[in-house]
Amino acid sequence: MPQTITIDPVTRLEGHGRITLKTNEQGEVSEAYFTVTQVRGFEKFCEGRPFYEMPSMMARICGICPVSHLIASAKACEAIMAVQIPPTAAKLRRALNLAQSIQSHALSFFYLASPDLLLGMDADPADRNIFGVAKAFPELGRAGVGLRRFGQHMIELLGRKRIHPGWIVPGGVNEPLDPVKREEILAMLPEAYANIKMALTAYKSIAGKFKDEIDSFANFPGAFLGMVAEDGGLEFTDGKLRLIDANGNILLDKLDAEHFDDVIGEAVEPFSYMKFPYYKPLGYPDGAYRVGPLARLNIATHAGTPLADIELKEFKQLANGPVLGSFYYHHARLIDILYGLETIEQLLGDPSILDTHVRATAGVNRLEGAGFAEAPRGTLMHHYKVTEEGKMTWANLVIATGQNNNAMNRGVLQVAQRYVKADKLQDGMLNRVEAVIRTFDPCLSCSTHAFGQMPLSIELQSPDGKLLDSVHRR
Amino acid sequence: MATPAHASEAGRVLILACGNSLRSDDGIGLKIGCAVEDQPPRSNLKVILSQQLLPEHAFDISESDVVVFVDCSAVTAAGVVTTMTIHPAEKLPTILTHHLDPASLMKMAKELYGHMPTHAFAVTVGAGSFDLSEKLTPPVEAAIPAAIEAVRKVLLTP
Repeated sequence: MPQTITIDPVTRLEGHGRITLKTNEQGEVSEAYFTVTQVRGFEKFCEGRPFYEMPSMMARICGICPVSHLIASAKACEAIMAVQIPPTAAKLRRALNLAQSIQSHALSFFYLASPDLLLGMDADPADRNIFGVAKAFPELGRAGVGLRRFGQHMIELLGRKRIHPGWIVPGGVNEPLDPVKREEILAMLPEAYANIKMALTAYKSIAGKFKDEIDSFANFPGAFLGMVAEDGGLEFTDGKLRLIDANGNILLDKLDAEHFDDVIGEAVEPFSYMKFPYYKPLGYPDGAYRVGPLARLNIATHAGTPLADIELKEFKQLANGPVLGSFYYHHARLIDILYGLETIEQLLGDPSILDTHVRATAGVNRLEGAGFAEAPRGTLMHHYKVTEEGKMTWANLVIATGQNNNAMNRGVLQVAQRYVKADKLQDGMLNRVEAVIRTFDPCLSCSTHAFGQMPLSIELQSPDGKLLDSVHRR
Repeated sequence: MATPAHASEAGRVLILACGNSLRSDDGIGLKIGCAVEDQPPRSNLKVILSQQLLPEHAFDISESDVVVFVDCSAVTAAGVVTTMTIHPAEKLPTILTHHLDPASLMKMAKELYGHMPTHAFAVTVGAGSFDLSEKLTPPVEAAIPAAIEAVRKVLLTP
């Protein structure tokens, strides 16, 4: 008998969502929807504010990746000011952005995903959490906490606060790096390297146990978008965008923020507040693409740092062309962390990092500006319009998680078709439906600019919409 | 009689002060934390100011002999200062990214790092408002000296 299953809330995500599965007359899952249920309206309430307030205001969208919002917003402001920031300011921003990715990825991998990976998808839910991991694998538990502390402490040292730091302003940063802080960060690096190496070793030792999940977790041919450096290497802060297709062919290269809207559209579906970005020349939904750690590794020719280059080379051996399975987001996150640590070491090791010229100033020289950065979850774009006096008249934000929206929905359908085979919901199969979303590490607060925690429900519905079963988590 | 560990200058003390300074009385923990940091009642004392308790605080807790959690209370009446002894939780929460309590962090410190403070206290001040504001309500503002004294008392009283 046809049914609809709803998972509400989806746990261990940032934000609030619901999953609805519909079955056909044969009892097979035929449709799946990942619904994001709230809206906050940051783009609207900023209208009328001075544009230079935007970075600090927009950073409030998210407590996990405020640095990326600061950077994308500051860049949009700098496009309006028509200024180029001092080279040292650019280096400091790169370092801070990487520190944020390290702490965010540590949160995602160790706190949210590792219970599934290390304890098993079918483990008792009471134990399947970071505390269960800490008990069974204390060294890895400590490594996760250690990497989070590294990233958070570095953000605090530079931005004065762990959550919603300031420091990044239109024109650069508002104070130079204190040499004492540089030494403190450098002194933390050896332990951080040891932690990430341990995590990579552990991940590789258990990944082979998840063949079914690798095959079914949003594993499909599709495009990937992200930032690359001038030479095609990994870049999080100051590169341009590249889009590749499922075979690795470059569809678009060296795209700057100013022209983002020319080629990327945003579709809307009635079941979710989260938008569905797509590559305009291919239309919607064919032009949907993925962003984030997996996309970054797929589009980059190399990492540009010694240890990450070795890991990236090995990663690329996983497929003949782009790695398509979204389960590998977990692996890619660890390589991102390694790259981040190496790049921070390089940046802070450069004597020019202590240069005191770190801010350029200007007024309004253009009435429109856009900027982007790689947030932990993928490409983040801010686009503003202002009056000649500098008052905001319009803003549009294209958020990383939104750009993975189509892939998350496809992934939920793929997993549900493989694992949900009964008219009663069981925790193991439901956890896999949730886990496919978790591979993307979505930040629903960012992507809908939504208030809230992350409760989520699964509903099982018949084709006529009758509720047959449901599971709710708070 | 020997001085208890929490009153001994040799013991490492951690003050973990939490709150949101933009949510009226929720910011009381941070104010008290700052006041203790400005005029520490004893040596070997470290103050952490944070919007919320986080798993990584387990590391700092594990390196301490005494920890004092300072926060507002949504349960007690506005301005009422309460001192409680904290014991490690027997069971840990399953979801931790948005909410952790002192007892769980104590347990996590022990599980992850094999050590937790021998003495743990919570000093709370009852909140009257969590509205958007950087100002404390009058009864909570008036309770600041008593709350600071409560922190001093647990650290200095043998």
